[in-house]
Amino acid sequence: MSVYTEGVIALMGINILLALSVYAILMTDQCSVGNAGFMAIGAYTSAYLTVKMGIPLMPALVVGALVSSFIGLLVGIPALRLKGLYLVLATLGFGEMVRTFFLNFEPTGGASGFRGPMGSTLFLIYAWVVGFIVFFWLLDRSRLGRSFDAVRDDPEVASTMGLDVVWHKIWAFWLGSFIAGIAGGLYAHYMFYIESGNFNFLLSTMILLYVLLGGMQTFWGAVVGAVIFSILPEILRFIHEWRLSFYGAVLVAMMIFRPSGIITRKMVRDLGEKFDKLFQTART
Amino acid sequence: MLTIQNVSKHFGGLKALENVTIHLGSDKIYGLIGPNGAGKTSLFNLITGVLPVSKGSIQFEGKELNKLQPHEISRLGISRTYQNIRLFPSMTVLENVLVAQNIHTQWGLGSIFKVRRSDLKLLDQAEELLKQMGLWTKRKEMSTSLAYGEQRRLEIARALALKPKLLLLDEPAAGMNESETENLLQRIEEIRAQGKTILLIEHDMSVIMRICSYISVLNFGELIAQGTPEEIQTNEAVIEAYLGREEG
Amino acid sequence: MFIQQLINGVMLGSTYSLIAIGYSLVLGLLQMINLAHGDVFMIGAFLGLTFAFLGIPLYLSLLLAMAGAGIVGILVERFCFRPLKKAHFLGPLVSTIAFGILLQNVGTQIWGSEPSRFPQTTDIAQFHIGPIVISSIQIIILATSLVLMVALDLFIRRTRMGRAMRATSEGQVNASLLGVDTDRVVSFTFFSSAALAGVAGVLTALVYLQITPFIGIRQGLIGIVAMVIGGLGNLRGAMIAGVSLGVIEVMNDAYFTASYRDIIIFGIFFLFIVIKPEGLFGAVQQEK
Repeated sequence: MSVYTEGVIALMGINILLALSVYAILMTDQCSVGNAGFMAIGAYTSAYLTVKMGIPLMPALVVGALVSSFIGLLVGIPALRLKGLYLVLATLGFGEMVRTFFLNFEPTGGASGFRGPMGSTLFLIYAWVVGFIVFFWLLDRSRLGRSFDAVRDDPEVASTMGLDVVWHKIWAFWLGSFIAGIAGGLYAHYMFYIESGNFNFLLSTMILLYVLLGGMQTFWGAVVGAVIFSILPEILRFIHEWRLSFYGAVLVAMMIFRPSGIITRKMVRDLGEKFDKLFQTART
Repeated sequence: MLTIQNVSKHFGGLKALENVTIHLGSDKIYGLIGPNGAGKTSLFNLITGVLPVSKGSIQFEGKELNKLQPHEISRLGISRTYQNIRLFPSMTVLENVLVAQNIHTQWGLGSIFKVRRSDLKLLDQAEELLKQMGLWTKRKEMSTSLAYGEQRRLEIARALALKPKLLLLDEPAAGMNESETENLLQRIEEIRAQGKTILLIEHDMSVIMRICSYISVLNFGELIAQGTPEEIQTNEAVIEAYLGREEG
Repeated sequence: MFIQQLINGVMLGSTYSLIAIGYSLVLGLLQMINLAHGDVFMIGAFLGLTFAFLGIPLYLSLLLAMAGAGIVGILVERFCFRPLKKAHFLGPLVSTIAFGILLQNVGTQIWGSEPSRFPQTTDIAQFHIGPIVISSIQIIILATSLVLMVALDLFIRRTRMGRAMRATSEGQVNASLLGVDTDRVVSFTFFSSAALAGVAGVLTALVYLQITPFIGIRQGLIGIVAMVIGGLGNLRGAMIAGVSLGVIEVMNDAYFTASYRDIIIFGIFFLFIVIKPEGLFGAVQQEK
């Protein structure tokens, strides 16, 4: 495998994680366009730990993600009061705050960026990807997954059915920012060099695009959206310069003709039922 | 069991409820009637904690409900259905009932990995509830694909899955024909026979008069009468409230 | 010196105001943010640059750029908003993000991603008022912004279309019951919003003298910040907030480090959303 192809696959893995991070928050009907900020926190924290403090990669990754998810909690709390558009704006502001913070923060390089983190392999990246996919798969089938569905469908009714809506919403932010933090750490240690400009609003909006293109009803949609966006540029080499215009046009068309995205809940359920019949599992 | 004491609810300048006092004992079916906009659903919203009380107090088995969150109140044993059916659209019939059982079990992160014996018992209970409501055969269908009457029954099944002591039903017979209504009445009576208290909002007078043992009447947010069906039927203020006012 | 910076700040800020007004117009009407707005601004800038390059006098270039940007605005409405009226609010939002990406790519393909210089179209005269120096270009920028803002304000308050716009932003159903052709109002609003962005684009190009297809990103964000601080949907608030942000930015660059500038701006932005989402002057509420 060439270095170039490896790079594409590695970044695809990172994109899948980022898409899942947005999906996690979207599970409770909250839309975040600030996940690049959480990614940055994970990236810089883990990079600092490995490069400046000699801490091994795995613990550094986890610590980076824990810091990111702690900040996620702090963001999730005021987010409770914000609906729809206001939440989008708040997460936008948050993402930009983080980016401009790291632009000025000298201990991690400031405007010159941070050089040195390394150690991410394809295996490591995809271990995390598979891990989170399994996590979401289990979540989907569990009681907690049903609680999340209820909270997203109708938070008021969910609360009268005994579900603590606040807990679910904050937990979703924690989860999403944790995953984004892991993605950031893996990214930093793959690219060897990071700068604040890598974690901008454009990236946050692109991640949202992956999820909506793939289908925001299930986590598989996020995965599929990220995969498509990562692979498509390679397949469409011949329109390379106009690639972005193509994406833009396709997405605009998608929103018009198939707003639910490629993968719908119904599709997943029907496929799931076919699998069940195949393996004759006793399932409700 | 439930004491609504001098409760008022204001929305800015708008008075939704004014100085309402109602006492509910256990094991009975209570009715709450009044013209449209009288404040009946608002009262439900106050009891379940969806909206805060402006004045007065609501106590359930001695506990003050006003400061509690809706999910805490439902855990105390109060559940409800909605005037315009609010099922969870992304879930199947069975899942709608199962999710309401989450409060009886461990539902946090751990639930992802373990399936305990108690969960199988919950599944049995859900099955029983759905069979009671005649919905077990449709358990795998999406909740919104059900017929209107079936959706209403599903909402009741879901509310019952919480194992409430007090069940609030908001116009459960709306849009039902004679036989469906008859069916519904039987089921409500069965629920009461299981030892639950029911507070029923209804416009269909025949339903109210038949199964309620005590009725409260609201008009413009105020309590204008309370009593047995016979007393209410002959109450002048009630008759005037219903006849003297345009339906709106 | 301070007055000099103040004038620079007001000048820069007035371009932010025009962008912010554009956001507010659409938000007040549809309760949505048009995230392609910044890139429409960029297209306007490049159109102005191209016309000026062809030798067309400045004011005419400005008007043509305005019209061109306005047309792009209508395209955004047709593709990203009109077909998605019944959709989840994320639909139009994501669609405008996609449209913006498309515009950026088109801009890059037509004009290149390297900075393009704005050609000198008029002789720049310098006016001395005491210790202050103002160039004719700066006067043009200030005057144009001011005239447009006043014109818009009058338009909204005095004309039939203006009244129709206000009625529609208070409630589309009610407005159409009153006989307002809401589709036309929406199209017109997008046109004017984009046209203002287009003007802001040309003026910004005059300020910085060179532009790239990516200027829409930052300027667009600052426009959103101004809109929020001024009050979502509040046009006058957007005007004041835009100018204030311009002044803050210039003052910060003059007396502190330039790199702190954005962190201050976005920090203020975040605090406003979380603590005072109605902005300084009150948001426009729509009855749903």
